[in-house]
Amino acid sequence: MDGATVEVIRHYLNSTAEQMRRTLIRTAFNPVIYEVLDFGISVYDRRRRLISESSGILSFLGANDFAIHKGVEKVGVENLCPGDVVIINVPYWSGAHAADAMMFTPVFGEGSDLPDAYLAVRAHWMDLGAKDPGYVLDSTSVHQEGLILPAVKLVKQGVVDPQIMAILRYNSRMPDTIIGDFNAQISAMRVGERRLGQIWDKFGLAEVDAAIDMIIEHGARTAREAVREMPDGQWSAHDWLDDDGISHDLIRMAVTVTIEGDKFTVDYGDSDPGVPGPVNIPFGSTLSQAKNVFKSLTTPDTPANHGHYQPLEVICPPGNLFHAVYPAATYTLWSTMVSFELINKALAQGMDHIAASSGSDEPGFMAVGTHPDTEEMYSVSNNEGIGWGATPFHDGANALQHLSTTAVRNTSMEVLEHKSPIFHERLELRRDSGGAGRWRGGLGVCREVKWLAVGELLSMKKKTKTKPWALHGGHEPETTNTMIVWPDTDRAHRARMERFTMQPGEGFRNYSAGGGGWGNPLDRPIELVLKDVLDEYVSAEKAQTVYGVRVSPDGAATPTTARLERQAD
Amino acid sequence: MTERRYRLAVDIGGTFVDAVSYDEQTGEITVRKAPTTPSAPAEGVITATGATNASLEEASVYTHGTTLGLNAILERKGAVTGIITNEGFRDIFEIARGDLPSGSKYDFQYRRPELLVKRRHTVGVPGRIDHRGRVVTELDRQAVIEAGRLLSERGVESVAVCFLHSYANTEHEEAAKSILTEAFPDLSVSVSIDLVREYHEYERTSTAVADAYIRPILGRYLNDLEERLRSRGFDGSFLIMRSAGGAMTSEIARVSPLLTVFSGPAGGIAGTISLGESTGRSSLISFDVGGTSLDACVIVDGAPTEVYEAEIEALPIRIPVFDIRTIGAGGGSIAWMDKGLLRVGPHSAGAVPGPICYGRGNTEPTVTDAALCLGYLAADEFLGGEMDLDGEAAVRGVTEKLAEPLGMSTERAAASVFDVLLARTVGAIREITVERGLDPREFSLVAFGGAGPMLAPLLAREMEMPEVVVPAAPAVFSAWGMLMSDLEYDVGRTVLTMLDDATLAQMQGVLAQLESEADQVLAAQSVPPDHRVFMRRLDLRYNGQEHTLSVELEEADDHESVAAKFHEQHLERYGHELDEEVQILTARVRGVGLLDKPAGHPAGERSSNSDQTAGRVGERHAFDFATRRRRLFPIYERNLLQPEAEIKGPAIIREPTCVTVVHSDQTAVADRLGILVVR
Repeated sequence: MDGATVEVIRHYLNSTAEQMRRTLIRTAFNPVIYEVLDFGISVYDRRRRLISESSGILSFLGANDFAIHKGVEKVGVENLCPGDVVIINVPYWSGAHAADAMMFTPVFGEGSDLPDAYLAVRAHWMDLGAKDPGYVLDSTSVHQEGLILPAVKLVKQGVVDPQIMAILRYNSRMPDTIIGDFNAQISAMRVGERRLGQIWDKFGLAEVDAAIDMIIEHGARTAREAVREMPDGQWSAHDWLDDDGISHDLIRMAVTVTIEGDKFTVDYGDSDPGVPGPVNIPFGSTLSQAKNVFKSLTTPDTPANHGHYQPLEVICPPGNLFHAVYPAATYTLWSTMVSFELINKALAQGMDHIAASSGSDEPGFMAVGTHPDTEEMYSVSNNEGIGWGATPFHDGANALQHLSTTAVRNTSMEVLEHKSPIFHERLELRRDSGGAGRWRGGLGVCREVKWLAVGELLSMKKKTKTKPWALHGGHEPETTNTMIVWPDTDRAHRARMERFTMQPGEGFRNYSAGGGGWGNPLDRPIELVLKDVLDEYVSAEKAQTVYGVRVSPDGAATPTTARLERQAD
Repeated sequence: MTERRYRLAVDIGGTFVDAVSYDEQTGEITVRKAPTTPSAPAEGVITATGATNASLEEASVYTHGTTLGLNAILERKGAVTGIITNEGFRDIFEIARGDLPSGSKYDFQYRRPELLVKRRHTVGVPGRIDHRGRVVTELDRQAVIEAGRLLSERGVESVAVCFLHSYANTEHEEAAKSILTEAFPDLSVSVSIDLVREYHEYERTSTAVADAYIRPILGRYLNDLEERLRSRGFDGSFLIMRSAGGAMTSEIARVSPLLTVFSGPAGGIAGTISLGESTGRSSLISFDVGGTSLDACVIVDGAPTEVYEAEIEALPIRIPVFDIRTIGAGGGSIAWMDKGLLRVGPHSAGAVPGPICYGRGNTEPTVTDAALCLGYLAADEFLGGEMDLDGEAAVRGVTEKLAEPLGMSTERAAASVFDVLLARTVGAIREITVERGLDPREFSLVAFGGAGPMLAPLLAREMEMPEVVVPAAPAVFSAWGMLMSDLEYDVGRTVLTMLDDATLAQMQGVLAQLESEADQVLAAQSVPPDHRVFMRRLDLRYNGQEHTLSVELEEADDHESVAAKFHEQHLERYGHELDEEVQILTARVRGVGLLDKPAGHPAGERSSNSDQTAGRVGERHAFDFATRRRRLFPIYERNLLQPEAEIKGPAIIREPTCVTVVHSDQTAVADRLGILVVR
């Protein structure tokens, strides 16, 4: 098959995922899907190789690749029929916590007895009957984390199973929302199904297969070339997770990256063993985070397919923090936000184009309760922006979402205040929160919220005790990620991952961290330092003490002795 | 008094200014082009205007479409802009939504584009309103004055004002506006609620910022142009095209400059609608292909889908715009080899250096070069022979850069460039039709722009669309659409309430108020009362769902009939309806001031020759996609075609600025209105 026909078919396949995405956003019920875009859509061929995907949460996409294999294995490929929809949320199989259930449907070409393709949609289910409403922050077993759906057929040959739906409905605190979202996901899959059928009709099953082989081969070749251009070597790095929500002990997260020719191996085995609290990471999720970082290093500009991950091998023994086994609690598996940049931290020792660390962990907050106006349960959340790390080429960006959730958006304050009885008193960039450097780390934010009616606050912090790392003489940010509950009172409390009951008038102040700096701050051009002071990203005091630039009230900038000495060296 | 017999429309684009004039006495329509003059845009506009045979003294209406505002934002050439917002929230604009553009989701060293507003130009002032519109803290009027003074001292020329929940209670924004306007007469002020009354503070702020950013320059430009027109004796209505179709007076445009940003593409849609009306077609897809991009828009029942979610480089702009899907693919798109796969775009050779065949130094083959290889364009016919193309260089480029690496003939490689471009286009059209439950096979494809008529017959075949409609003078169709526009004015208000009889009754009150606002605006534009028409709509959604569908409200409607319309639309668009309560999010009124319009369509000069084979001027070999091989294509001159002439494919129908390619399984018919229909 020629390279032009392959490209034509590739466009058709990519458009399939895109059309599924648009359908899901437009029909979803739950703001976490339509506002935050907390979902992932993937299209697989008959061998469950990724053909195309559509933006949502990056970590969902990688986890889908793992879950589709497990799901088909559990149901048995021979038991799948046209029109079936299977749901799977066992964390160890699906690569995500129980609330992020994945649904998939097999798609059959004409005359095929076995599926020729699979469509997967993973989205956040608002409530599947876990021990607590909203997120579960202190579970010690998967059995506290919600109804378990071990790859069951929710839809059989196009007909929804009323009994399973009844189980779902009666196990959920928010039945209407989950049923609405269920319908949205089905709509998305049906659109994808029709589209695949049309592609097969047009080109023929065999031709499409041949094109898929070439698309994947192309992806593999591109990724291998990129790895070959990296230096060979082995580097290790570690970082610390605050605790598991049960004890207060730091938890070690470690990685060793080995590059040899066109092979790229990531080994998490040197990390701490699994812990009692819900911070354990299913292997599917570990795999997914490694895939995302690998993709950013090798083929960031092209939509992902199976081939792009061929050079990557991920290792971690069962029972490790990064390879949770039954019945380990995994509800807050976004501990991966803390470990996400470990691969970069390791590689930075051998490569010079790596960026410093972002403000890392910031899953934000959640508010849960019964709304006084409607007397219905609400559950709202916000993913807070963080400062990104400075790069060798420019400053880190201010207040973006975490690297692993770049398609996700923060929740509008006006929407939050509509849907829950909370009231914002401040949301601003946090001056001096970016790590200093030749290139400065991006700034984190400060958010102040108070409750107007009794409700619950969930804080989800996991990295408040250690700082984001810097590179090449850049500085770590001076302040870390912190949430103060009941600020400016005697009860002021530095939150970790925990739940609080808030009375009217009570609230929190959340500080997200800035990114690490890159290079010596004394080498930062004086005009950039001046600009930072005028824009109040950096205080005049830090400009003088850290950057060696004295800025007078009338806006004149002069170098300090430290800067002049540095220049003389 | 001079008799006013002419209507003029002038559309300013990146490369050319297109002017269309219509003589109401003779029905004659003339079309002219002049080069765009970026340093003094009004100059090129005047030149193009002067090139038509219409005298400005005798012109009743002058409708203008301009991308000046859009370009100012893209090129960061707008006013020095500041923001006044709530104390403690000065970074709403910079914090934005925190996501990366969809093509950059794996770019972990992402660099944000330069912000339109520097942080030193943002100030928070005390005052707070809650989500129900209740005043929690009174606005500190003195702080507003101090903020204005500070920003003025720092060189700010234009200020955007946006407060939290201002959609629910406008009083703080209105107060700030009057305080600032009074205290700082030279400061331009844009307030969010004048532009959008819906929740989402970042999107409202960014809309106000975009408005503030372009307001001074657009105002100066319109003054300049209007003065030049008046000094040349023009005494009629000076109208500006809006992004959601319809026109507005220049006074309104100066007040609402943001409404002009997408006026260029809107002209094409307006033209498509009017073409549909005059030829009895109600389901159309517009297909506008220029040098660098392709715009498509779906029109159902004669009305295009509108959205309130436009974006300029990831900057959300909540103004009504047509739901146009743009993809980076046009005549100048570069075709290139990526490790064995043939890619087309997204990079473009633009107008300069342009395709290889322009001979201006580009060596990367483009879609236009492929068209030369396929025989659709001829080296000596481009722009009516005014520009010679280097055909050999184009063939060489396609051969060396594409055909050899692909291991295929030059011709097949060139055809493959079209195949890939088409595959991208099919995806885009599917996304805007089938996902809404619409079937492209029920639509007519209306092709315009320089490359539209060449590609549309291929697309129609691919998507099994019954026909392609090529209007006369397709390259200036946007300007034509402007000529056909009415005056329009939109106003809306977020209400957020469940739909029942009581709330629907309340809505009548809200809508009546909105209607009177729209009515006043039309009256101010000198529209006589019997020419004012109002449409009332409600944006509805299922309780708990975010996205809305817009339902037109008629006199006899009760809450059940409104809900029924909503359920029906939801089913049609998404494949299911729900047993859920329906919520009203926004009440909207569109006021239309009907203008008299030309009856005909622009016609080329017709010969009186009655010979059915008239117009056949030659033949050449070209690639036939129906049989996928090279065949002899007769060539016709479009303006020599007889009405009702039927031309069996394969055929090339040429005109000075574009070609329509009819393949061997298609037939083209020239109708009486000068429209070409390919089936």
